[in-house]
Amino acid sequence: MRLELGNIFIKDVQFSDATKIENGVLYIDKEELLATVGGDERVKNIDVELAHPGEEVRITPVKDVIEPRVKVEGPGGMFPGVLSKVDTVGTGRTHALKNVAVVTAGKIVGFQEGIIDMSGPGAEYTPFSKLHNIVIIADPVDGIKQYDHEAAVRMIGLKAAQYLGEFAKNLEPEEIKYYETEPLLESIKKYPDLPRVGYVYMLQTQGLLHDTYVYGVDAKKIIPTILYPTEIFDGAIISGNCVSACDKNPTYVHQNNSIIEDLYEKHGKEYNFVGVIITNENVYLADKERSSNWTAKLCKYLGLDAVIVSQEGFGNPDTDLIMNCKKIENEGVKTVIVTDEYAGRDGASQSLADADPKADAVITNGNANEVILLPPMKKIIGTTQYVDTIAGGFDGSLRADGSIEVEIQAITGATNETGFVRLTAKEY
Amino acid sequence: MKPVIVTNNPKVIESYKELCKIVFIEGEYMDVLIAVRDYIHKGHELLTHPLSGSIKPNETPYKSALISSDVGQMNISSTTIIEDSILTAKKFIENKKTPLWTESILEDFSEIDFRLLESAMGSIGL
Repeated sequence: MRLELGNIFIKDVQFSDATKIENGVLYIDKEELLATVGGDERVKNIDVELAHPGEEVRITPVKDVIEPRVKVEGPGGMFPGVLSKVDTVGTGRTHALKNVAVVTAGKIVGFQEGIIDMSGPGAEYTPFSKLHNIVIIADPVDGIKQYDHEAAVRMIGLKAAQYLGEFAKNLEPEEIKYYETEPLLESIKKYPDLPRVGYVYMLQTQGLLHDTYVYGVDAKKIIPTILYPTEIFDGAIISGNCVSACDKNPTYVHQNNSIIEDLYEKHGKEYNFVGVIITNENVYLADKERSSNWTAKLCKYLGLDAVIVSQEGFGNPDTDLIMNCKKIENEGVKTVIVTDEYAGRDGASQSLADADPKADAVITNGNANEVILLPPMKKIIGTTQYVDTIAGGFDGSLRADGSIEVEIQAITGATNETGFVRLTAKEY
Repeated sequence: MKPVIVTNNPKVIESYKELCKIVFIEGEYMDVLIAVRDYIHKGHELLTHPLSGSIKPNETPYKSALISSDVGQMNISSTTIIEDSILTAKKFIENKKTPLWTESILEDFSEIDFRLLESAMGSIGL
């Protein structure tokens, strides 16, 4: 499976009387965008605002971040099984609008976190501060259930990204990247002497505001399976979760998964990147046992020498992570696990809720309990009304001057466990 | 055999009281974990992860867990998971106590806990 990914770099985003991309500027007809994504009977009001890098703007509570992309050639469309038919995606050509994102914001539950500061110290903790963000705020009708509200906002965000992506269809990208994964037997024949490497991609799948969808299927209902990496670049996996925002994968992170990107870099040179095994993180312990059995079985079946295992979330997913690690190692396959830590505000506490001697190659993406003071911003998109009640916040978090003292777990993507972060860890 | 629900979440009672046995704990998040641990020590098996969900143990006051109704030898895996979960929860609660929430936020926490449990009940066809 081969995908050409054409990157179109956007320098600025402005509202205009017609949506178009000219000279690196994305012009958006606000009314047309709202008319395209609106109309959901579950939503009362919908509005869109822009937030640019460097501005004194705070976006919160953030639900999802999505990169506008469009299928140019090849089967299927963006977000298969959700907005497009369930064709298998990942081949042909896709265009992506770089440096921009659709961000959905607004309260679904009263303790919802997710902060993106576009400047100041908080901006250093979220990769999304570097993007021109098209922020959509959707207020639900009165009395709506949280599940319906979440689903409505999820769809609005995806539709907005799809709408904007369409305008990139006929443009000539400034950069084209090629990604190719051969069927297993062909790749082994092509690279007989290279070690075979896979990626076990763990997805958060536990219920309301904790869900992920694969080709439209609620991933808590899947058993682990194999995807070509390029399917993920074409929107095969979307986010329905945002609780404890630091280590959740927004849709943008799935579309731009940096472990997959990096694995492709040396594919065919230093190793043979065979593919991705997706698995879930369910509440029911037998599901955890079954899914980790299956990831280990698939690793062995694919003849892998080594895998990278990335986690999504903290706490009970630590159990999935360690189950995956142990069982895969027991099959004779080397593992590197990618996680984050809740090591207390001083960083001195036990980092994970589970551990095992076989987990001897670990990459951390930061301590989510680390406290940061976010200065006041001139403009708030969304509301800070709930900051005192969010993960990592506390009574008095929101000060009279608008500054916020909070643990970095409240910042969207701060300790993302695919490494899509600005934090690094060094051992001295 | 149908599982036993151990919970301090009133919403769970309303929805599942006809379906299976419910042990209602008049207490906090940690009290539920302690009760689950005691059942495991008596030979019940742990069926759901006690730290289900991403809401931290010092945020939500509600917790629901499933244990087996069957009683056998003490299950070592269940014991390890509940003990590790209690240690992790303590770490959070000692770091910062659960705030006194408004009614509306309590309702949201209750709903999330209920939906997490519901996802586990779905796994066993209930």
